[in-house]
Amino acid sequence: MENKYQDQVYHFKGLWDLPSICGLKIIKKAETSIIIATDLYDNNPGTSITEWNTKLAWELCNKFELNPENLIFIEHTPNKETKLEFNRETFFKVNFTIENGSFVNPVWNQLTNDEVDKLISE
Amino acid sequence: MKFQLIFPKWRKLEGQTVFNLPPHGAIVFAATIPADFEVEFIDENLEEMRYDDTVDFVGISMLLTTQIKRGWAIADEYRKRGKKVIFGGISTMLHAEETMLHADSIFLGEAEGHMDQVFKDFKKGELKKVYNFMNDLPPIETIGPARRELYKRDLYYHKGVQMVDTFHASRGCKYSCYPCAVSYLGGRNFRPRPVHKVVEELATIDNNRLFIVDNSLAQDTEWEKELFKAMIPFKKKWCSHTIEDKHEVLDLAAQAGAWYVYQAVFDTSDYIKERVKRYHDYGIGVEGTILLGLDDQTEDDIKRLIDFLLEINLDLAEFTVLAPFPHTKAYVDLVKQNRIFNKNWDDYNAGQVVYHPKHMSAERLQELYQYAWDTFYKDETQEEKMFKLLKKVVSREVEDGTFRKRRQDLSKVSFGKLINPKIV
Repeated sequence: MENKYQDQVYHFKGLWDLPSICGLKIIKKAETSIIIATDLYDNNPGTSITEWNTKLAWELCNKFELNPENLIFIEHTPNKETKLEFNRETFFKVNFTIENGSFVNPVWNQLTNDEVDKLISE
Repeated sequence: MKFQLIFPKWRKLEGQTVFNLPPHGAIVFAATIPADFEVEFIDENLEEMRYDDTVDFVGISMLLTTQIKRGWAIADEYRKRGKKVIFGGISTMLHAEETMLHADSIFLGEAEGHMDQVFKDFKKGELKKVYNFMNDLPPIETIGPARRELYKRDLYYHKGVQMVDTFHASRGCKYSCYPCAVSYLGGRNFRPRPVHKVVEELATIDNNRLFIVDNSLAQDTEWEKELFKAMIPFKKKWCSHTIEDKHEVLDLAAQAGAWYVYQAVFDTSDYIKERVKRYHDYGIGVEGTILLGLDDQTEDDIKRLIDFLLEINLDLAEFTVLAPFPHTKAYVDLVKQNRIFNKNWDDYNAGQVVYHPKHMSAERLQELYQYAWDTFYKDETQEEKMFKLLKKVVSREVEDGTFRKRRQDLSKVSFGKLINPKIV
């Protein structure tokens, strides 16, 4: 894959069971795991990762045996290479609360590319 | 058994000319209702609700986000009276979870092929809370003519002039534009109706003027050309969202009765200028649709854009501010950035700023929205510009013998209400 933030395309069932896809990169470290989920707007027939992030993050933790207590979940929107500002690349770290065996209350914090690269390489 | 089908009213934008067009989705849906149900349609924009009429089952058809709270209130009234209420339509899909709180049942997806089961379940008292067919869209050829006989026709006249009939030739959209939820609603597939089915429906419409409500006809050149060729013999005049600006398409569109088209004007480029000119070269009017408040617009950009609109001789312009409707990229971006400050869906009418714009305050964007309307229509009001477009279509209709005189019995009535009761 050309995109350094994406190793595979992940298929999931989104809102109302809509077949949905996102890009996925998982970096497992000793203490924490990092998930980078890339929104594939132009190719995703279903739900965006932002609207499904709590369920998607939990599903990924189960599937890839990641500890939800020590997870860094990053939403990535790739650069669509248009002149429009809202099509530029963005990264948001999403903090969740764990409640009754699921993630709730997502809070987003924007990260720069450098901050993401630093997180990955640390 | 009687099914009451309701299209809830909504608050119209201040200062704009109000035209109530016959709603489309509700009567397309009505065509799928089993024949043993008598259907009555109430367009609440034009009629008062009558909660105590004898009805067995109530359907609420919701198109707009700004309509949903009213839809919920209507449902609550019927349910207080023990009636079962089902919701469907575009904004039901956009606001499904919230709508479930006011419904006995919600229907998600397109109705064709599924209503026999829903109505059977109702009769058995086994209505499901959710009928989810979001991922099971019907074959496009199964879409039949809408039930236009359900309209109370006289209500859709303004001073004796009949409003256009709404009509669709395709569903879905292959594009996924920033502020639009169509790809969520119908998948990112353009699904053109077979042209013979379109022709079959056109033949049932007793109106010489149409509004083709499709998201965009400019998605499949060969189908578009075939469609326009097939429309020529009907001699109807129509407006639509964008069409392709290739010469062969424009030529056929003009022959097929293209009256005016909507064209998004998003910058001050020669591309837009030339495109508008090409439409005009074929006698097709252009209504610019201008979305204000995107993240790449500064105050100066907006002012420059408005000056540009005046230069390129648009016939009409419609200004909106970005409304972050759920399930759009605009919505998820603004949610992530915590920039939405108003979640009252009544205000999601594309005329009210509900988020913090990037380069100005919400208040300033609201002022610029008003400035845009005022500046564009400073020398000629919206009604005057509309009248000019109307005159053009009338002269074409007179030429080809399709002109219909205004109805004298409704000349002092506007959408079912007397304009000045003292005179009549």
